[in-house]
Amino acid sequence: MTTWDQLLWYAAVAAACWVAGAVAAYRTKRTWAPVAVSLCGSAVFLAFIIGMWVSLERPPMRTMGETRLWYSFFLSVAGVAVYARWRYKWILSFSSVMSIVFVCINLFKPEIHNKSLMPALQSVWFVPHVIVYMFSYALLGAVTLFAIYLWLRSSRREPSADEMGLCDHLVRIGWAFLSLGMVMGALWAKQAWGDYWTWDPKETWAAATWLGYLLYLHLRAARPKERNVAFAIIVFSFLLLQMCWYGINYLPAAQGVSIHTY
Amino acid sequence: MTLEWGYKRAFLRCALLFVVGTTLQLAVGDIDTSLLRYPWGLILAVNYLYLLVVAYAMRDKWRWLRQLGDDKACISSLASFGVMVIIFGLTRQDPLREGWVGAMGFSRMTASWPFNLLLLYFMTTLGVRVVAEIHHLRRYRAAAVMTHLGVFVLLVAGTFGSGDTVRCMVTTHVGEPVNVGRDDAGHEVMLPFALTLDDFSMEEYPAKLYLLDTRREKSSREFLSVEAEGAEAVIDGWRIRADHTLDMAGHVPGESAWRAMNHIGAAPAVYVSAENVATGEQFRGWVSCGSHIFEPSYLMLADGMAVAMPRREAKSYLSRVNIMEEGGVRRDVDIEVNHPARVGSWRIYQVSYDIAKGRWSDTSVLECVRDPWYGAAHVALWLLLASGVVMFVTAGGRRVARAYDGDKGTDGAGDMNGADGVVSHKAAAARRRGRGKEVKR
Repeated sequence: MTTWDQLLWYAAVAAACWVAGAVAAYRTKRTWAPVAVSLCGSAVFLAFIIGMWVSLERPPMRTMGETRLWYSFFLSVAGVAVYARWRYKWILSFSSVMSIVFVCINLFKPEIHNKSLMPALQSVWFVPHVIVYMFSYALLGAVTLFAIYLWLRSSRREPSADEMGLCDHLVRIGWAFLSLGMVMGALWAKQAWGDYWTWDPKETWAAATWLGYLLYLHLRAARPKERNVAFAIIVFSFLLLQMCWYGINYLPAAQGVSIHTY
Repeated sequence: MTLEWGYKRAFLRCALLFVVGTTLQLAVGDIDTSLLRYPWGLILAVNYLYLLVVAYAMRDKWRWLRQLGDDKACISSLASFGVMVIIFGLTRQDPLREGWVGAMGFSRMTASWPFNLLLLYFMTTLGVRVVAEIHHLRRYRAAAVMTHLGVFVLLVAGTFGSGDTVRCMVTTHVGEPVNVGRDDAGHEVMLPFALTLDDFSMEEYPAKLYLLDTRREKSSREFLSVEAEGAEAVIDGWRIRADHTLDMAGHVPGESAWRAMNHIGAAPAVYVSAENVATGEQFRGWVSCGSHIFEPSYLMLADGMAVAMPRREAKSYLSRVNIMEEGGVRRDVDIEVNHPARVGSWRIYQVSYDIAKGRWSDTSVLECVRDPWYGAAHVALWLLLASGVVMFVTAGGRRVARAYDGDKGTDGAGDMNGADGVVSHKAAAARRRGRGKEVKR
């Protein structure tokens, strides 16, 4: 039976694979080798998540620590997908470091994992809602790093059309998944509470995040030369995303009023 | 001096709307959504949609109509509404709040004029764009059109339908029919059906044992989940073991021992042995969370520590309800969280029960919701779900709008924003000719 204590061992193997994949991206010209090695790491990590799912007898998606597991996993997969599609060598290093950081947070700040799943969370929408959100967060995290790199890189080189295209594609996919998560949440809320949308603090910040990335997509289409504004919107929207994900747990305006605290 | 139509003026328009909204808020207070009650909500919605189509059709005659759905209006309204949502998120919602935050309506944001005016403006720019896109359907813009349409229908249903939703709480007791609920304001709401609670049942998670510091009134973070006899764990230096468990137990007054009892009010009880890992000191005794009939029991250890069991958490609860509709038709339904029952345009949700009695509750709190705009909102949500999938599948495709590549398109030739129809017919024709220049990668 998989327990939270075993995370260290699974994470060590996964991290070793992710780092090996990131190094291999620079050392070899073949794309398949870094992809295969990195995916091995993701598979090991997924094995831990599935093990937790079985031993907890519920999807490990309830607590912040559990959502961080999915974030690490999807970030690694998103990194591999971007590398396989656009051949950016650095993306594997970025995604690996980010995944490992989130694993470390879980290792150093473990949470007590409880089997209980309150009745409102027992819905067919629970798993897809959380998974698409975490996948979206991972992609938008990756594109934020990329945008900061393009914006502040030491060479001061203007981003190429290809580089901007990658930003646009990643934001578009991330935003599509944000929309999916939001719509699934709305359908679920209607089933559970009779309302699609109640402007709960989590929902308000989710809407702000969604609008932020939507603004980026529209601005890129209408004013493609405004790169600085576009990069600023990506970074700002990611800050909104942080507020939505866990910031509301500390925001005075949201204390004690959100129904999204578990 | 006149300011040319551009982003500056577009944002100034939003600022003006904010000022007008704030003035209205200070002058007349919150918006009363009851004004949108049937049939007025529907009449306004139909007229609003008609005006949008007219605005689109007349765009060549009046420049300001043309400016209602162009990139500048779209981006400025989107950004301004986004700012309002951020203010919403940063402000604690409290209808009774006073001071300037309360006066400006920020603490009752959904009923405030500035928020709703900017939302209406955002919805209008989106609506004009949707009409334009439907007029000039392009397959490669399928995801954008679906998204625009889905969000627009949702906003229209949410705005004009807000006065039609009826919600009321109904407290039902076993065997007693009830056909009256109470809304948030405490007003009675007559229901077109009667509800009789036949039975309430609950499934609970296994009992949990915590270590309690009675001096500091603090509970341990870790706990022992008593899933079976013999379960044990070390918590804060104490080895806790569940030697014997009873799912339904009680005890006679004056006795500390719990015994199996199949009776209303029976509570779970565990015979616990606790050993201090460092000193070897041992304690044994019964621990129970008690119920509305039986007092809870604790096992006292050394130094003010105790083993305690909080009430078991609900895994699921279900109300078996008999519904009698107006024609006298009766039927039995099971209502659970996430599984509402449906009676015409009403849906009945499981909300709560008598917490003090827990699994022995003979009361169930149900919420009845009537939402005539359910169909429109549901279709829009599924459309958005489909558009999200289409957007994911088509992202990174080969067709990339000129604006992305050459940095030349500044008037809405982009993928998300390039509805042909909003600009004049001449410009639209020129745009269509220009599409031949789209770059294939």
